[in-house]
Amino acid sequence: MTFRRMKAEQLETALNKDLAKQTDPTAAYADLPEDELFTPADFDHSRAERGGYSNYSYWGATLRSFFKNKVAVFFLCVIAVVLLFTFIQPLLPNQHDPKTINNDPLTGVQIINRAPDSEFWFGTNSIGQDLWARTWAGTRTSLGIGLAVACFEALFGTLIGVLWGYVRKLDTFFTELYNIFDNIPQTLVLILVSYIMNPGVGTIIFALCLTGWLDMARFIRNQIVIIRDRDYNLASRCLGTTTGRIVTKNLLPYLVSVIALRMSLAIPSAIGNEVFVTYIGIGLPTDIPSLGNLVQAGRLLMSQPSLRYQLLFPTAVLAIITISLYVVGNAFADAADPKNHV
Amino acid sequence: MNTTKKLISLALSGAMCVSLAACGGNGTSTTAEGAAVYRELYSSEVTTLNYLTTSQTNEYAIGANVVDCLVEYDSYGNIIPSLAESWESNDDMTEWTFHIRQGVKWVDKDGNEVADVTANDWVSTAQYVNDARNAADNQYMYSTGAVVHNAQAYYDYTAYLLTLETLGLATGENAVDDAGDPIEVVDPVEADSIGVKAVDDYTLVYTLDQPCPFFLSVLSYTSYMPVYGPFLEECGDQFGLDNENLLYNGAYILSSYLPQQERVLTKNQSYWDKDNVFIDEIRQTYNAEAINVSVSMYQADESDYAAVPSDLLDAMLADESTANLVHGSRPDVSFSYFYSFNFDPQFDEQYEPENWKLAVNNENFRKAVMAALDRVKALTVSEPYNPSDLMNNTITPANFAVGGGKDFTQYDALLSYTQGDSFDEAKAIEYRDAAKAELTAEGATFPIKVLMPYNPSTTNWDKECQVVEQQIEGVLGSDFIDIIVQAGPETGFLSAVRRGGDYALMKCNWGADYADPQTWTEPFVADNSYGFWDLSEDPETQALFAAYSAKVEEAEAIYDDDAARYTAFAEAEAMLIDHAIAIPFSVSSGDGYVICDLNPMEGEYAPYGVALQRYKYQHLYDTSMSMDEFETAYKEWEEARAQAIATSEE
Amino acid sequence: MLKRVLHALVTLCIVIVIVFVLLRQMPIEGYFNNFDKLSDAQIKAGLQQLGLTQPLPKQVLNYFVQILQGNLGISNKYREGYSIAKIIAQKAPISIEIGLISFVVSLVVGMPLGILMARSTRTRFKVWDKIGTVLIVVVQAVPSAVYHLLIQLYGSEMLGVSMLFNTRNLETWILPIFSLSIGNIAYYAMWLRRYMVDESNKDYIRLARAKGVPAARISRNHVFRNAVVPLVQYIPNSILFTLMGSLYVESLYSIPGMGGLLVQVIKLQDNTMVQALVLIYAAVSVLGLLFGDILMALVDPRISFTGKEGAR
Repeated sequence: MTFRRMKAEQLETALNKDLAKQTDPTAAYADLPEDELFTPADFDHSRAERGGYSNYSYWGATLRSFFKNKVAVFFLCVIAVVLLFTFIQPLLPNQHDPKTINNDPLTGVQIINRAPDSEFWFGTNSIGQDLWARTWAGTRTSLGIGLAVACFEALFGTLIGVLWGYVRKLDTFFTELYNIFDNIPQTLVLILVSYIMNPGVGTIIFALCLTGWLDMARFIRNQIVIIRDRDYNLASRCLGTTTGRIVTKNLLPYLVSVIALRMSLAIPSAIGNEVFVTYIGIGLPTDIPSLGNLVQAGRLLMSQPSLRYQLLFPTAVLAIITISLYVVGNAFADAADPKNHV
Repeated sequence: MNTTKKLISLALSGAMCVSLAACGGNGTSTTAEGAAVYRELYSSEVTTLNYLTTSQTNEYAIGANVVDCLVEYDSYGNIIPSLAESWESNDDMTEWTFHIRQGVKWVDKDGNEVADVTANDWVSTAQYVNDARNAADNQYMYSTGAVVHNAQAYYDYTAYLLTLETLGLATGENAVDDAGDPIEVVDPVEADSIGVKAVDDYTLVYTLDQPCPFFLSVLSYTSYMPVYGPFLEECGDQFGLDNENLLYNGAYILSSYLPQQERVLTKNQSYWDKDNVFIDEIRQTYNAEAINVSVSMYQADESDYAAVPSDLLDAMLADESTANLVHGSRPDVSFSYFYSFNFDPQFDEQYEPENWKLAVNNENFRKAVMAALDRVKALTVSEPYNPSDLMNNTITPANFAVGGGKDFTQYDALLSYTQGDSFDEAKAIEYRDAAKAELTAEGATFPIKVLMPYNPSTTNWDKECQVVEQQIEGVLGSDFIDIIVQAGPETGFLSAVRRGGDYALMKCNWGADYADPQTWTEPFVADNSYGFWDLSEDPETQALFAAYSAKVEEAEAIYDDDAARYTAFAEAEAMLIDHAIAIPFSVSSGDGYVICDLNPMEGEYAPYGVALQRYKYQHLYDTSMSMDEFETAYKEWEEARAQAIATSEE
Repeated sequence: MLKRVLHALVTLCIVIVIVFVLLRQMPIEGYFNNFDKLSDAQIKAGLQQLGLTQPLPKQVLNYFVQILQGNLGISNKYREGYSIAKIIAQKAPISIEIGLISFVVSLVVGMPLGILMARSTRTRFKVWDKIGTVLIVVVQAVPSAVYHLLIQLYGSEMLGVSMLFNTRNLETWILPIFSLSIGNIAYYAMWLRRYMVDESNKDYIRLARAKGVPAARISRNHVFRNAVVPLVQYIPNSILFTLMGSLYVESLYSIPGMGGLLVQVIKLQDNTMVQALVLIYAAVSVLGLLFGDILMALVDPRISFTGKEGAR
């Protein structure tokens, strides 16, 4: 029973203290140290400007969320390695030139259709060129084409898309323009370009850019239409923010993730287009190695099992690039969605 | 001779039996089991069936099987009667009379008889082909080599009328063309005045302006195929657009014609020589990917023919299931490939045309390139197995023309080339050093840029160019010569590149038109569209050209003495090679490597005209020949042919 | 409605004019098989016959008059002298038939796969999601030029069917239809999964789940219904565009359909054919959009077709 008494005593002392505080306010903090006490603050102009603050960083959160996805990180590494390797490969020792025809040192005859071995890691093609070197040179060419086209699409497509989506006066005009261009067969444009200009990397980039931006523009336009009238944009507009500022500060950051996703998909699709263009016979000249040319050359040998390696390697590289970009792009888009940042 | 032939076919059928037994008889298309149907895929559709105006092999391949000519060939290349039962010429070979076979019928696509074949049908052809409005590809066959009286005059006159028509003018008085230049008035020439006359329904006479010893060989050209005049008139523009707008008198009838889908040639039951037609039906299915799927199709017994890309050859020979099926094809000596130097370059400044002009007019430079070109290596691209089989040491292919008892390439002037290879690294370097000294004195800069275009739609040409580039640069040094390989346009390649002079050194080809060495001089005489050496401003080249032209003229004038004529032509050709005006390269590989249930050695043979496209005389076998079987058959054929020629010479 | 149709007609006209102008930039060599051997007069006569020497506006005008008379014109290269309407009437049914079957197949397989994948995202191992993703990724990553060929080579061997298509032999339909469907299966599965996953993260679904509505009912009545709306819009177009056929598949199996026809006639420079095809395809795609909007309005009551602007 002493326990109960002790409790009662404690309670009583506490109540008495409170009572004392009420009667004498200063007594309540008399025993606190000096620096805990309120002191009048100086007026600081810069502090007056400071708004609410948390240490949330959009990009930081995006990256953190992205790196949580182990599969995506793995494929990101794959891309990095492939990309790096296309540039390093020619510098490695004992590499063959992708264009040189290899002759047998003893007989002087071309080494044709040699299956993969220690000398020619991916074998040789039908005139004796080293497929290992050609595959990497082709990857270089095709990735170059893909990057160039994707960048153009991203820049030009976004520009048009934003104008189309945000500036209401231009909406009918661009919609009309889109309907028209969308109905002009891509093949016709590609063939015309290939007739007018000399076949080459520049031509193919030009031709693919010419027709590629349409989809991007439409996509961006649709996104912009969805978010342009959201409350925060309405508020910005009411506060007199200029259109340019709304676009660059309010709209585009929101779109960065989807643009990145589109770009990551645009690279493989540009490479795929290159394969298609080669298929219909208006691609790069065959002496320039590219994935399109290698795949097309490999297709011709498909019916012979022992030569399928010539199709296998370029297709595998193409598939790896596509898969990696696809997975990374999707993971990044997910990571960039603020809803997933909690 | 006849016995030899029989022996061969016996030997062949023996071989067939053996291979059939080996394969366990998996063929179903045996002649014994009812109708023999030959099936194949094709990937290139014809644009017209009008055999009178086309000179493209895949287009006249149909015409050749559905319409017969005055004469045809046996399997050794001897001319034998076809629709003409007999013929004779006057002494100077300017008037040729043909006696037409009686009772031959024109039939429609269902085999119903429409009319008799008469001498008038060849007159109709001549009038149609020589009318410029019809833009016939082979019209030149009436005016080059064999010159049919007034044919060209009538053509010129109709061309003149056409010009006026396109300008919307009625008369030619004071007419000017679009550029403002006056149009020369051409005097009227009647169609009837062309030197092709039907004396009666079964007697046909051709009148020539020049003696022509080889006139018979001209007659199997599309522009000399008969056509039923009234039908042609009735069809007008529609003639040859489909199988209804065509009449048939040949071994087959085009019974079904569905472009981009299927066409069927059915044996003509009213054919005059149907005992020699052994395949009852030829069924061709369109497949744009034929090159990718035809081998598998053959193996699945869905097709009787597959072209084997040279890339696949080694692998297929190593593969047991296909090793005994693949075989080569008879080299096609109707085409000769040669590397042509361009003496009148029209290409872009960046490739230094002026510098090229200095180089190309230097004989040592040309000879250096000629000696540096390893043709075997280049040919390995399209024929990895036996590249030297395709090699051609002269412009005129060996085994093309025989006169005075021996092959043209065996005449003295050409003999040294025929027997040796022009590739010689030591000599090439010798020539190079000489050329370098001379060209440096003339102010040329090194390396000399050599623009070498190719047509991207021609299989393997691109690869061959890469090989040639690296090979020549390897011999002569890239500080001396810089070969620039470039893809030309696919559409209109020849007119843009070769005719337009947009090249420095390029592989060109020429196809024979008739059985005489004269046909091979055509790319080198004045106004040619090949190397333009007649346009060179260099006195040395000019002198060479003059000498060559004189020699050709001299040779053309000899018509009654084969040996003398051939000697003169051989000397002319030797001048081209001596001075490296062009570099002889190869003959055509024909169909290349194939898997095929036919034996081409049975069919008609002539290295020009339509004979090779015919299915007449050919049998359908159960399986394809193997490499060895084919080699044996080919050797036997060559020997039999040599004998047949010797016999016919006597 | 009427306004929209008129609008579409104007678009069509502009497309035709642009294609007209583009086609006239083609090299004239391409119009002749034997350009090398023709004289200037013959070339000119040929061009006149093709109607290419008239001033461009007049050519365009003539063409429109011809179209208004319901005449698509005559092919001048692909199949010389043959009516284009007839050519298309022969080819289109085959492509449409194969296309429709493969469309049905891809819906029947693709949709359930998409649903299965979306549902399995909520399970522990996500088995179906993983399997489906691999399929989608592989189909997307391997160039179609390659996998169609693989399907033909191995498929015909495994099933023991012919490598070539034959209208009469139904066996031969299997491989081309499979080839055509596989891409679309992946497509439908991918998007349906995406939309369903997005939908099921929405608040009202969470609420339903929290309230204890059975998962099957949520999935069927709420998630699927809403997720399928954006897909529905593309269905009319998918159906109509079966008319275009498939370039790869039709050339591999010798199917005499429309696939690759456009590419072919452009390369052949058969201008009248190119114009006719562009006209038809453009009309079809405009129609497809129209039907798509109508269908959307039917499926989703919130969308009204007469609204101010057609949702694209």
